[in-house]
Amino acid sequence: MAQTQDLRRRIKSVENTRQITKTMEMVATSKLKRARQRVVAARPYAEALAEVLADLHGAELVEQFPLLRQPQSLRRVAVIAITSNRGLCGSFNANLIRETRDRIAELEDAGTAVELHQIGRKGIAYFRFTGRAMASARPDIGDRPTPEQADELVTPLMERFAAGELDAVEVVFARFVSPLSTPATLLPVLPIRPPTRGGKDGRMEGRKQRSNVPSARHSTANYILRPSAKDLLSAILPLYVRNQLFRALVETAASEQGARRTAMKSATDNAGEMIDTLRRTYNRARQAQITQEIAEIVGGAEAQAG
Amino acid sequence: MRLTVISPERAVFDGDVDAVVAPAYDGEVGILPRHAPFMTLLGSGRLTIRSGGETRTVWVEGGFLQVVNDVVRVVAEHAREETDHAS
Repeated sequence: MAQTQDLRRRIKSVENTRQITKTMEMVATSKLKRARQRVVAARPYAEALAEVLADLHGAELVEQFPLLRQPQSLRRVAVIAITSNRGLCGSFNANLIRETRDRIAELEDAGTAVELHQIGRKGIAYFRFTGRAMASARPDIGDRPTPEQADELVTPLMERFAAGELDAVEVVFARFVSPLSTPATLLPVLPIRPPTRGGKDGRMEGRKQRSNVPSARHSTANYILRPSAKDLLSAILPLYVRNQLFRALVETAASEQGARRTAMKSATDNAGEMIDTLRRTYNRARQAQITQEIAEIVGGAEAQAG
Repeated sequence: MRLTVISPERAVFDGDVDAVVAPAYDGEVGILPRHAPFMTLLGSGRLTIRSGGETRTVWVEGGFLQVVNDVVRVVAEHAREETDHAS
């Protein structure tokens, strides 16, 4: 009797949990849809910048730009690590934190000073717990990162790189390959490795959906440039750096929703399985109880008759 | 002549046009079809787009403008279409 009561209570409780995870799955699905649109919408700008940089970039210009400076050795590196603000998305944040931690360890083993700029509550909580000092912590960047936020984050670092205070700036983010595949990725932002002509700039080759903006390939030699190529480059290089970070933020936001949807879907499936098992056990217990009661009645009746 | 106006967040405009007047860093530039390959930095101001009899304006700031093969690309740091009552 007590056992069936217990089972009934557990079934109810798992059903409630399943209701919640199912709802979260649906919320994540709709947020994912919008986040994904933002990833796609941000593509033409990145492609345009990459193309133009590839056109303008020439070896003879490299030495003139502090942002293109290739340091001989790494003395001080800034790592911008992006995580989400919320949990319940499987191993999403754990993967990002591990990538960050590994990279920091690798750099520090090589004798490089590392300053950590952490974005997202989950990462901040982790590094605070382990007692690692963070140069900056931003828990305020949400589901819809803006280009302005990317500027705020990267512009001071860009200035310090140009001044020679930093030798490299790297970003750890969750690349949005598909909602099911969001690998934690290390992206070197500075020094800039200029994209080469042909669109291979590491990560921006338009994967599935190529934008329909016509490609405007042309050699630099025939352009009328105003002001000079040098001035154009010095204006466009910072745009490129900012956009790299903006894209990392946007992709991570989309990846988070993808990871959450997957996590919540498997939680819902698991709850369903659990309910099935519990229900089977419950029915068996109920049946056993009835059988026993009948046996008792029959036994009692026979005793009376006898 | 094809024109695309792109901001970091999205493509703001994409279509065929007859003329474009853009706020370059040192003053306005007008682009008509069959313009020579050209590239310049943008300042901030109104980008005027003329197609057919219609005129639209987009507020742009920063970035650059590129003309190649009768394709004009405005890659702006900030760009938003102006609402009717504002212009």
